[in-house]
Amino acid sequence: MTTNAATGAVKRTEKSASPWAIARRKFLRNKLAMASTVFLILVIILTLMAPFLAPHLSPIPDITKVNISKMSIPPNGDHLLGTDKSGRDVMTRLLYGGRISLLVGASATAIVVVLGTIVGSVAGFFGGAVDSLLMRFTDFVLNFPFLVFVIVLNTILFGIVDGLWVLILVIGLLSWGGVARIVRSKVLAEKENEYVLAAISIGTPPAKVIIKHLLPNVLSTIIVQSTLLFASLIVAETGLSYLGFGVPQETPSWGNMLAFANEPDVLQGKPWIWMPPALIITATILSINFIGEGLKDALNPKSQR
Amino acid sequence: MLKYTLRRVLGMIPMLFLVSVVVFFLAKAMPGDSLSGEIDPTNTNPEYQEEMREKLGYNDPVYMQYYRWVTDFMSGDFGKSTRYKMPVADLIGEKLPNTIFLALTSLLITYVLAFAMGMYSGRKPYTLGDNLIAGFNYAGIAIPSFVAGVFAVYFFAFKLNWFPFAGSVDIEIDKGTIDYWISRIHHVMLPAFVLGMFSTASYTQFLRNDLIENSRKDFVRTALAKGTPMGKIYNVHILRNSIIPLVTFLGFDIAALVGGAIITEKIFTYPGIGLLFLDSVNNRDYPTVMAITMMLSAMVLIGNLIADILYGIVDPRIRLG
Repeated sequence: MTTNAATGAVKRTEKSASPWAIARRKFLRNKLAMASTVFLILVIILTLMAPFLAPHLSPIPDITKVNISKMSIPPNGDHLLGTDKSGRDVMTRLLYGGRISLLVGASATAIVVVLGTIVGSVAGFFGGAVDSLLMRFTDFVLNFPFLVFVIVLNTILFGIVDGLWVLILVIGLLSWGGVARIVRSKVLAEKENEYVLAAISIGTPPAKVIIKHLLPNVLSTIIVQSTLLFASLIVAETGLSYLGFGVPQETPSWGNMLAFANEPDVLQGKPWIWMPPALIITATILSINFIGEGLKDALNPKSQR
Repeated sequence: MLKYTLRRVLGMIPMLFLVSVVVFFLAKAMPGDSLSGEIDPTNTNPEYQEEMREKLGYNDPVYMQYYRWVTDFMSGDFGKSTRYKMPVADLIGEKLPNTIFLALTSLLITYVLAFAMGMYSGRKPYTLGDNLIAGFNYAGIAIPSFVAGVFAVYFFAFKLNWFPFAGSVDIEIDKGTIDYWISRIHHVMLPAFVLGMFSTASYTQFLRNDLIENSRKDFVRTALAKGTPMGKIYNVHILRNSIIPLVTFLGFDIAALVGGAIITEKIFTYPGIGLLFLDSVNNRDYPTVMAITMMLSAMVLIGNLIADILYGIVDPRIRLG
């Protein structure tokens, strides 16, 4: 196809591929992004299957019960990754913890993408006073020091609502500013096209113009953004939990497991307790970032790969 | 330029007002008396509580309470810490120098490293050195700072014993001596590097790409044709163009350091504002928490303002926008 397009004069006999098909082909050819995708899917499947895998992996599949007789055992045949300071199997907790960390990341990303897209597209489409009002509000949200406010809000709301969902909501409600800005600028550029004018002139209601005509053209940007957001919101969860203000401490999550590294004797002498979560966080974040870069490349019609 | 600066400063005031209103209502939503810290939380006698509330004006209309809080805050009265039984302003004043020292060292390391690596990569793109630097950059951008920090403490402080793993200075050394400062610098190096890792990586990459792009411009060809040595072209002609956008990042750095300092100070148990904030939340010392929240929010706003103004200086087109 590309050679045909390049020479221009050659007659096209076959149907040209759709933009999505081209993007898919580009993505499949990107080795780093494909390897990352395989890795991420593997992590997701393993964590989802935690309840089935745990009994086979460890003699103590319970993730919360404290076992005084089995405290801080280094990795061995029974416990592939050893046990933590409360005598719980690290491997089992890693699997269950992944579910929580990925759930928080995915749910918060969903909130952010929905909110950001609505605010951004409405502001971009209507322009004028609506635009300046919404964008001032976006600036306002972006101007909060994220970490400080999440911690403060968590302290206030804690105990009123279930801890995990407080965290997801707070992270989501404080992070949509960037997506809103990007969607707005894309919509602003896109609505200058004639087809939008045509749609408006035949009386299409604004909601329908935005959903049916504008958003499909902004979709590739949203997809790339939400991938990168997914990574940074997993970082937000693990970081907050590491500080002790994220997922409730009795629930295992990658961040809560890494929080054991706050104790100098664990950090110095018992690396099997904190290193697995640290490594899996890094590997997951890296793979999501590679997927995001791959998608960006694949969805960009100008890129050559 | 003056008009633009003034407009930016004036534009910040409503934002500061809104942020302060949010912080005020958050403080009111917190349990106990988090605005002044005068009420003793251990004394649960309802008569005492009511008497104190009346005395401190908590039965007044909300806007009067807000006005009182804001004017107190601006005159430096941040209330009283319920934990340390001393004014929050003194408490913050004690820890602030440590955080500022950490932030400045971090900025220094960031800019020095970014310049050295960016210049090298930009002049010799697609070589082994460039690829190594690109690998470091990718790691710096993708690995979360707290994971990097934990690994840094493990390897450099515990395994290699190069750096201390906690604190800001050796307590045995007398204040003011040269040893004291050496010890402080020794303590701050590792946290400062971790704190600046993300910015270092992004600036290096930015400088590299900018150098490569600028080196293809016509004025470079002209200079080359006139016989200017390549080194001089890079150091004088190109760098001057590439340095400008980099300077504008300084404002964003101030905003980013606010969040970064909290995590970094926690990892390295470095006694600054961030650690004070976390300890105060854990000990329910809400007046201190709210004062620091307001202070850090104001710093983010000021950081963004500085970024805006620097942008205006660098790029005249922005001033009209």
